[in-house]
Amino acid sequence: MSNIVLKGLSKVYAEGETEEVRAVNGIDLEIEKGEFLAIVGPSGSGKSTLLNLVGGLDVPTEGHVLIDGRDTQGLSEKELTRIRREKIGFVFQEFNLLPVLNASENVQLPLRYLKVGTRERERRAAEALELVGLSKRARNRPSQLSGGERQRVAIARALVTGPALVLADEPTGELDTVNTCRIIEVMRKLNDTLNQTFAIVTHDPMVAAYTSRVITLRDGQVESDLAQAAADLHCDDGETI
Amino acid sequence: MVKVILRNMWRRKARTFLTVFGIVVGIFALTVLGGLSARLTQQVNGAKSWFTNSISVVPSGGSLFGGENMFFTLDKVDEIQRVPGVKEAVAGIGLFVKDSQNFSFGAPDLIVGLETAGAQDLLKQLNVDEGRSLQSGDKGVVLLGSTLAEKLNGKVGGTVSLRGQEFEVIGILQPTLSAPDTFAFVAYEDALSLFYAANPFIKQTEPIASNVYVTWELGTDPEALAKDIESQVSGVRVISPSEAEKQISQFSLIFNAILFGIAFIALIVGGLSIINTMVMSVSERTREIGLKRAIGAETNTILGEYLLESAMIGFLGGLIGMGLGVLAIFFLNNATSSSNVTVFTVSLTVVIGPVIFATILGTLAGIFPALRAARLKPVESLRED
Repeated sequence: MSNIVLKGLSKVYAEGETEEVRAVNGIDLEIEKGEFLAIVGPSGSGKSTLLNLVGGLDVPTEGHVLIDGRDTQGLSEKELTRIRREKIGFVFQEFNLLPVLNASENVQLPLRYLKVGTRERERRAAEALELVGLSKRARNRPSQLSGGERQRVAIARALVTGPALVLADEPTGELDTVNTCRIIEVMRKLNDTLNQTFAIVTHDPMVAAYTSRVITLRDGQVESDLAQAAADLHCDDGETI
Repeated sequence: MVKVILRNMWRRKARTFLTVFGIVVGIFALTVLGGLSARLTQQVNGAKSWFTNSISVVPSGGSLFGGENMFFTLDKVDEIQRVPGVKEAVAGIGLFVKDSQNFSFGAPDLIVGLETAGAQDLLKQLNVDEGRSLQSGDKGVVLLGSTLAEKLNGKVGGTVSLRGQEFEVIGILQPTLSAPDTFAFVAYEDALSLFYAANPFIKQTEPIASNVYVTWELGTDPEALAKDIESQVSGVRVISPSEAEKQISQFSLIFNAILFGIAFIALIVGGLSIINTMVMSVSERTREIGLKRAIGAETNTILGEYLLESAMIGFLGGLIGMGLGVLAIFFLNNATSSSNVTVFTVSLTVVIGPVIFATILGTLAGIFPALRAARLKPVESLRED
């Protein structure tokens, strides 16, 4: 069974009094469990809107989103919150870490919402930070971390609940080449070892090259959907993760 | 959770400090005024127990405490004595220890002249600490309330001067923290001569009384008896025990209303500043709220977080304000102790009440900002800069 199924998905925004913008315009897609794919396209092509619809942050004007076979249409905000909490991990361009929490506490946050006990939370956060190579930074606040480290914390936070699907919106948008490479490396490693599905919105061709499927959007529609052999990663900073 | 909330508050140290300080000021006022009010209530309750032991009869137009230089002739006392149910009608003279009795806290310093023979029932209700009580036939002696004794530096066996006349102190009462503490009990005849001295234009041939203390026969309802006296004796005002209680309470009610009015205004201002601070915090943290919602926080979780933060501001302000208030009470009481005046009482209510009140105030002030935070849409808040 497919992990994610989109059927005739549309999102219409009113612009001014008469105009309307079809940010997403009738998209049909299927994503299998364990896929590692990129969504690319020019600005305003509907990439982020699509991601928000899939992740239940936004509700479609028309069409359906099925996550693990469950249609999210007509679900209440409370039920959507539950799906986000249990099934989905988010990674954002701006990292969105809470400044008052240290790395470990940031990673524990989704577990807290799942009502996981303190010890178990700490154990799983330590595991997740280990996976992204930040064990030593667990007690540091975001302000004491570099951009690349912050994004790795954010990835650990997205993964710590073991979600069915990780949605990343321009995760490398604010990072330099070396850090971009390392973020992709981390995500690929997690995709390999945990078999979690990753959908990465990016406008960086390098990032897209490292994935095995590239969906190109234009004007809210799928322009192309191509499978490819993912390029090999060689992050040239000499540091292994 | 609390740790995280304190860290969040610490992000805007100056603003949090000012907001907490706003509550501190209000709660400080509430605590100090609460102490004042507790002391007042104590005094009033004491006054009640003295004044409700008898029915007071005063010239019509007079009041419970007397001191207006109004009086009636002693045939009124006989008239009252004849009303069925009256056990003893005791002629009394009440006058202030000092003419220029300014605003006094609680009961005023009062010379209470009683017909010693008839007043034994009344006097029995006073607990003598040192010496003895007034006895039938006593003259030129005084039984002092504890506060007044200290004020006049009266010792048993020594003398004190009341309105220019020397009295031998025969006894000092136990402190009651209430009305009799500031009373000087003397014989009727002694008080009468003081009364004449104070009112030189009164014809001094006829004995008079400024108030009559009426005790009742066992089984008689004092309220009904008060009505009987009122209807059977002309030109008098009868203050029954329940009316006395009402008069005394009224005094404290008005006082309390003013006190708490002041504290309340301070707290409304404090509450508004909490609302302001919390609304600002919510808009500053819009993105964070969006993030929390995105990774699965329920609206109620967000609501709870902000309510708790707001309650925390109230609680801290309450704790500090109460602490400072109790400290101030301690120092003020110390400062006035040399003149034997206790102005404040610290009770459990005075200590715990303001803190609970401030916490509730903080929580209520947080409702609007917290609802605003909880209602934010995740997508839109994440877009916020």
